[in-house]
Amino acid sequence: MSIAIEIHNATKSYGDKTVLKGVDLTVEAGTVTVILGPSGSGKSTLLRAINHLEQLDEGYVALNGELIGVRVQGDRLKERREKDILRQRAKIGFVFQNFNLFSHLTVLDNVSEAPVSQGAKLKEAREHARGLLTRVGLADKESAYPRQLSGGQQQRVAIARALALEPEVILFDEPTSALDPELVGEVLQVIRGLAGLGKTLIVVTHEIGFAREVADQVVFVDGGVIVEQGSPADVLSNPRHQRTRDFLDKVLA
Amino acid sequence: MTRPTRLRVLGALATAAALVAGLAACASDASASGETDAAASGTVTVGAFSNGAATETEIEVSQVDEIRDTLPKEVLDSGEFTIGVGALPAGFPPLAYTGDDNETLTGAEPDLGRLVAAVFGLKPVVKNSTWDNLFVGIDTGATDAGFSNITDTEKRKEKYDFASYRGDNLAFQVLASNDWEFDGDYENLDGLTVATASGTNQEKILLEWKSKLEAEGKTLNVVYFPDANSITLALNSGQIDAQFNPNPGIAYQNTVSKDGANPTRTAGTFSGAGATLDGLIAATVKKDSGLAQPIADAINYLIENGQYDQWLAAYDLQNEAVETSLVNPPGLPLDNS
Amino acid sequence: MTGVVSARPTETLEPEPERASASGALPPGIDLKKLAERKVVPLRHPLRWIVTAVVLVLLLNFVQTLFTNPSWEWAKVGQWFFSPAILKGLQLTLVATGISAVVSFLGGIVVALGRISPNPVLSTVSWLYIWLFRSVPLILVLIFLFNLGNLYPTIGVGIPFGPQWEVPTFTVLSSLTLGVIGLSLSEIAYSAEIVRAGILAVDQGQHEAAKALGIPQRRQFTRIVLPQALRSIVPAYVNQIIGLLKASSLLFYVSLLDLFGVVQNLGSTYPTDIIPLLVVATIWYLILTSAISIVQYYIERFYARGSVRELPPTPFQRVRRTLAGVRSGERETVA
Repeated sequence: MSIAIEIHNATKSYGDKTVLKGVDLTVEAGTVTVILGPSGSGKSTLLRAINHLEQLDEGYVALNGELIGVRVQGDRLKERREKDILRQRAKIGFVFQNFNLFSHLTVLDNVSEAPVSQGAKLKEAREHARGLLTRVGLADKESAYPRQLSGGQQQRVAIARALALEPEVILFDEPTSALDPELVGEVLQVIRGLAGLGKTLIVVTHEIGFAREVADQVVFVDGGVIVEQGSPADVLSNPRHQRTRDFLDKVLA
Repeated sequence: MTRPTRLRVLGALATAAALVAGLAACASDASASGETDAAASGTVTVGAFSNGAATETEIEVSQVDEIRDTLPKEVLDSGEFTIGVGALPAGFPPLAYTGDDNETLTGAEPDLGRLVAAVFGLKPVVKNSTWDNLFVGIDTGATDAGFSNITDTEKRKEKYDFASYRGDNLAFQVLASNDWEFDGDYENLDGLTVATASGTNQEKILLEWKSKLEAEGKTLNVVYFPDANSITLALNSGQIDAQFNPNPGIAYQNTVSKDGANPTRTAGTFSGAGATLDGLIAATVKKDSGLAQPIADAINYLIENGQYDQWLAAYDLQNEAVETSLVNPPGLPLDNS
Repeated sequence: MTGVVSARPTETLEPEPERASASGALPPGIDLKKLAERKVVPLRHPLRWIVTAVVLVLLLNFVQTLFTNPSWEWAKVGQWFFSPAILKGLQLTLVATGISAVVSFLGGIVVALGRISPNPVLSTVSWLYIWLFRSVPLILVLIFLFNLGNLYPTIGVGIPFGPQWEVPTFTVLSSLTLGVIGLSLSEIAYSAEIVRAGILAVDQGQHEAAKALGIPQRRQFTRIVLPQALRSIVPAYVNQIIGLLKASSLLFYVSLLDLFGVVQNLGSTYPTDIIPLLVVATIWYLILTSAISIVQYYIERFYARGSVRELPPTPFQRVRRTLAGVRSGERETVA
């Protein structure tokens, strides 16, 4: 299997506070990686660094061997121009905790916006968007505005929107945390479907059951470092570190 | 709604922009300044569109080369004589105001400027502005001469040259229903509230009376308003008892208000030349511009050849006539202004 | 749950004796079930009615004076209302306000972007601009501008200490241009703050989502941020335009006669018509402001899409609904 994402020495501080302390991680193509960790552990920062929403102080992220957000200049890594970064981000889908749908655009326009902005023909982009909405079970909502939908429906639109650019990797930042409990299932169902299609997914979540069922790799992050990583069976059922055990006890309690 | 709404907004903006541009094209002539008159020499029409303030009169004037030749070169070369009038936003009829075609800037002052231009053989261009901007226009050279009921004062002489052309008669105006009379005696002003224009000859006179009255333990309340319209409204509403201002304007207002809701009348006149003050109205030019003498010569020419009298008669201002035009005659003294 | 209650009130609402006495208010011999079948009588507000009556009497008195007080001279108002001079002034007011409104809006966007720019020079210059033109009264801006020829006999651009291109000030700038520049200079400072507030009001998540989708920067602003910012910008900016409309009455300082300038000017020629002329100006300003308010209403509605679940009804729809409601209400009372 080929490596889709390679993260090396990811280091990031906000002022005095170091949130990532030299994280190394590889994600193989076509696999699902679940990142677990207590709040403030740096897991969201790590995820956001992958598509350069956070700029690393040191280290790099590479997608299929291409550095994201930086390039080599002499003996240094130098940040790329915003224009180039935007082009790279199109290869990486991102699903936010709070959906962040464009509230002034209809569901269909939300999904077709990114392809149109990158030069796709409006008509084709809309056709494609309709197909994606059908896939997430919202074919009948294309003319609705986001506020007219439930949280679960909004998150499914957000997933369709992330899929519209046919990204090589999709990142999920706590995709079900903002949802009422009865709506979590429908969103996980969609993500599960994507995993079944062989997409490369990286998911930050607290849904242990989902991780156990879908993940190929589980990563436990705490204090800005990867404490433990491995198969769901290893990390979730037989954690080797006390910190992992404490966390799992709390989440599963 | 699946169609792109953005396009429609852009369309609306484009339409709005086109509309604005179109309106702008229509309004390009809406500027109140830079009015150009057709006739340069030969016949000058005075008192046009005067709303009853004047008898429209055609006055024959011919170009006088001896005077024309003394003009500064720049003025000659421009072919135009720019007459500045400070009649914005409100005019002061019959001296300078918008005529009853609601367009032409008419009045005794710009008309004299037109007569002078005819003597010079130059095309008269009348520029209207606010009182302050009138002087700035003279300073910057945008205006050749101010003909705008400007009183010759020593203070102004620091920056300007004068060519006098008219006396300065003042009057008290009251509502016709008020039987107060000035009777030439300032003692009669005791207890009144009187409006006047700030920074003027008449104000000095009024303030002098005020201090005399106060010395006698009496009162005179002097108040100021931004323009003539406000004074008229204050008089109508009883906020002031009278106004003390140049006679021509008051005579005009009395005439036109005769059949209105609030008729007014003149309750006494007073010479602007006063006891100690020498009030003269003068054409005003930038100091050392070399224009004061040619203008005085032109006015004297008009006086000698009868056009000056015709002009005054057209506006019924004969009692303000001067015998000759002087360059920089003694003005209101410094300590008075 | 409520459906069950209303469908079968006799069973679920039956009061137990203890509960009735605990509430303390139920006199004996009252059949609560019976009362529950009738409409609840709403609280009356007698004071509100008295105040309403007083306000109406005062209003009627005032309206009456409009007809009975001869000072208004309505016949003359009618004569002046459509006179060419007034219409010309009105046109100037519209043109100056219209151009300034568009220029200030675009300028406001530029200054607002400068203000929130991470570039310290741009943000400081923008801040200084806003500080200066919000501090200086419009009237002073206009006077300085008109006297530009005095301060700068020529205007031009050039490389400092290098070649310069210059033209005399008076020949290039017409009065209308000066007026529009004056109004816009002031107005841009205000609209920049309005635009900035609007941009800041857009949720940070919207910027992030646009970035994450790789939408090009310019389009992020025009397609995602600005339309959402406009929701809060439009009401404030229309307010600003109405202020601008009235501020244009200061244009006589640059020798332009707008609606109010024309009225002042005519008032001096026709001193007996000052009041009717002022009434004419008042009515025209009322008409213009009303027109702007109507446009505002529909623009706001347009940008409200997506921000509310259902758009509020237009006034027409509301009137129709109220009428329908009154009619059905009448039927109910009759029945």
